[in-house]
Amino acid sequence: MTSAFDLAFLRRIGWPLAAVCLILLVAVLAPLLAPHDPIRMDVVNRLGTPNWLHPLGQDEYGRDILSRLVYGARVSLSVALLSATIAACIGIVAGLIGGYFGGVSELLTLRVVDIVLCFPPMLLALLVVTMLGPGMETLTLVLSILFIPGFARVTYGEVLSTKNQEYVEATRALGAGSARILFGAILPNIVGPILVQFSLTVASAIVLESGLSFLGLGVVPPAPSWGLMIRGARGYMEQAPMGLLWPCLALVLTIWSINQLCDSFRDAVDPRSGGSTRGFWTNLRAVLGMSSRAAPSGAVAPEVVLAVEGLKTRIVTPTGVVRAVDDVSFQVRRGETVAVVGESGSGKSMTGLSIMGLLPQPAGRVIGGSVRLATKDGRIVELTDLDEPALRKIRGEQVAMIFQEPMTSLNPVHKVGTQIVEAIQAHRAMDNAAAQARAKALLEHVGIPDPARCLGEFPHQLSGGMRQRAMIAMALSCEPKLLIADEPTTALDVTIQAQILELLRALQREHPGSMSVMFVTHNLGVVAEMADRVLVMYAGQIVEEADVATIFARPRHPYTRGLLDSVPKPSHAADTDASARRRLATIPGTVPNLALDRVGCAFAPRCAMALDACRQGDPPLVDVGGGRRSRCLRWSEL
Amino acid sequence: MNYLIRRCLISLGLIYVVTTLLFLALHIVPGDPAELLLSGGGVAPAPETVAELRDRLGLNDPLWKQYIDHLVRLAHGDLGTSFQDDHPVVEEVVRRLPRTLELILAAAVLALAIGLPLGALAAVRRGRATDRILSGFASFNLSVPVFVTGTILVLVFAQKLRWVPAGGYTPLATDPLQHLVFLLMPAFAISVGLAAVVFRMARAAVLDTLERDWVRTARAKGLSPRRVVVRHVVRNALTPVVTVLGLHMGSLLGGTVLVEYVFNWPGVSSLLVRAVEQRDYPEVLGVVLVVSFLFILLNLVVDLLYALLDPRVRHA
Repeated sequence: MTSAFDLAFLRRIGWPLAAVCLILLVAVLAPLLAPHDPIRMDVVNRLGTPNWLHPLGQDEYGRDILSRLVYGARVSLSVALLSATIAACIGIVAGLIGGYFGGVSELLTLRVVDIVLCFPPMLLALLVVTMLGPGMETLTLVLSILFIPGFARVTYGEVLSTKNQEYVEATRALGAGSARILFGAILPNIVGPILVQFSLTVASAIVLESGLSFLGLGVVPPAPSWGLMIRGARGYMEQAPMGLLWPCLALVLTIWSINQLCDSFRDAVDPRSGGSTRGFWTNLRAVLGMSSRAAPSGAVAPEVVLAVEGLKTRIVTPTGVVRAVDDVSFQVRRGETVAVVGESGSGKSMTGLSIMGLLPQPAGRVIGGSVRLATKDGRIVELTDLDEPALRKIRGEQVAMIFQEPMTSLNPVHKVGTQIVEAIQAHRAMDNAAAQARAKALLEHVGIPDPARCLGEFPHQLSGGMRQRAMIAMALSCEPKLLIADEPTTALDVTIQAQILELLRALQREHPGSMSVMFVTHNLGVVAEMADRVLVMYAGQIVEEADVATIFARPRHPYTRGLLDSVPKPSHAADTDASARRRLATIPGTVPNLALDRVGCAFAPRCAMALDACRQGDPPLVDVGGGRRSRCLRWSEL
Repeated sequence: MNYLIRRCLISLGLIYVVTTLLFLALHIVPGDPAELLLSGGGVAPAPETVAELRDRLGLNDPLWKQYIDHLVRLAHGDLGTSFQDDHPVVEEVVRRLPRTLELILAAAVLALAIGLPLGALAAVRRGRATDRILSGFASFNLSVPVFVTGTILVLVFAQKLRWVPAGGYTPLATDPLQHLVFLLMPAFAISVGLAAVVFRMARAAVLDTLERDWVRTARAKGLSPRRVVVRHVVRNALTPVVTVLGLHMGSLLGGTVLVEYVFNWPGVSSLLVRAVEQRDYPEVLGVVLVVSFLFILLNLVVDLLYALLDPRVRHA
């Protein structure tokens, strides 16, 4: 809590705090501030209009409205604060005892207090008023009773989560008694949530107090109370509407200020609500200022479907800007399968989402580079220039995407058939019957045994493998030129994985050259099986590119070599001698924090071959011959 | 199944506790209950009247016998007779209860109709001006007590503009249109604050749903933003919102007291206010008993519904 009360916190709760303090001040200084006695009647001037003596006019008995408002604050706040304090004292003790000792004491404290919750609050209040008669004392008693369970529950919950913490254990080990532990060690650490509960309670107490007074069952006339003033003015609202509006305004502004203060408290106490959104927007503005697009160099070769050049994607977080994709260039040719490989966080999925324009919003931004796509009708389209409606025509129709988790990637509340039909109708003017028929044909095509039944089933009724087949059917529904498969088999078990890979290969073989695949994965076994060419990504950059046979035979980047060494090889498994059963190599260290500035090669801190030169300039991605590229200064030594 | 039985037993226990407490309510208060019953208005009652009432209420019996009699009467649906007109309390409660429920239901529907679309809009425009204005407005609305809303509505729409009557009631059978006209303002008064609650829930639920993978899938298909939001976001966010709204229905039961008073709506709550003013004990106790039962029952239904929707609750 101490850190919560620093200057930034005070600034954030500034105006609600100031407003609440002002209202408190008015209540305390009422005798000084009020120009008149709040209960002195002046029947001759009843409903008098505002003048120098009575700035807000006079009420139905000729009493000064301003004075009654000022004294009303005193009544409302004293009832509310008093009852909240009583409720807090009893509730906190009940919660502490119930939570700390448990068992019978829990039953005797918490469950007894909970009885209050059996009644709707207003009804319980009315019941007590009937029994004891209206008045300030009854009001305070009722409100105290009503708010005890809130405090008891909050304290109870906090005690349960605090009582086994180390500092409590330490106090116990020092031989402190239960009371010392409860009030000395536990209570100070749960002050935050209780403070939130207290301000909530004060606001609710004011609402209830004014409500009961409004019914004529709370504060007894002629004492001034905002609720009573509204009750009185209601009868004369036609002649003197302002007499009604002033107490309403005072009441609403008071409750609002307290609620705002309460929200700010909660933000400060609850770490999950963060409050660091300001950092996010500052960072986002900085990123929007970075955008710079250079024109792509040269024309796209006719066999190329997708040409990505110098792609730069940034993800904005409250604490910094992540360089998710950093100057990535590659091409995908007609009918080719390009695998993009890397650890989690290497930027491979973000590359796919950047191409589709599906980055998380508003955090993800493409700030530079070019993505050109050869469409079905033979045009070359620059995707980074397209607006949302134009991009929508590309998605699904020209470029389709399948994802890692078929369970969460399909909407659980819609039938599989509906979701495929929707994909078809997004791009084809087909009526429902025709689209259904096409959806059925597609499901059959991807090897679903009973396609007619599958159409009418919900995603959770299918197995994981069937769900991914349905996803593939959906992706293929408009015969895209490029399929981006983002870890499509990661969530599946091994046999199903093999079936899905086989399906994807078969689909590509059917019409050679019709569909290219960009296959995002971290699984090198899948790469060996699927890919024609491989891009290895690290820290948002491509570190090596080669065709699949060469990269497995002779990696030209230490990171690629590290990845290959960390995969069990079938030959080793077959061998029985001890040398083959050596432990798998791992790459030391972890993926760097891409939000921080970096000098030199991103992999250098984890690289056994790193030189001083590696840590100075950013090594370029160089052509090493035979269509291969590497981002290592020492590639020739590998 | 286990959860279901346990939850039902707890509710039964609560109903028993409420029954007993309400029986004791008369006896906890210091002084003679009969005298207390008759001392409305601060005038000391005549001794013979007190004695007659003691006899009538069975107050001369031992406490345990009175308690048993009390439970037996309740089991027969007897809530006693009103002091004012000697009518059985249960008749009046049963006559008025549907009107209160109608009011709550209408308010809930209105709140959903207002809060849900605005909540979804704010979530989609998260952090921008639309969101900030709507969220600010919602937090303001949450700070306006329902009787203030009601009174201002009467001032503006009944007194100044003269569009609707200031309050009253016509049975549905007599004149359906007039019935709806009378229903509109009280229902709207309740729904203003409730819509703010729905707004907050809807905004949170839609924000949560927007992050889901199937939304990305829907966008990857090339669906229009409107279709994505309506079919793949709001449709999914609806379930938690409606469930939590159900939770609030219970607390609304108490909240109608002020609105029924402001608009002269002849539901159970205005019966209660009248009874409290007259210190008509049997009527007060009867209404509190019935509404508390309903309150416990509603909470039970919502809890069970919740368990049905989320299997994890059942096994907790």
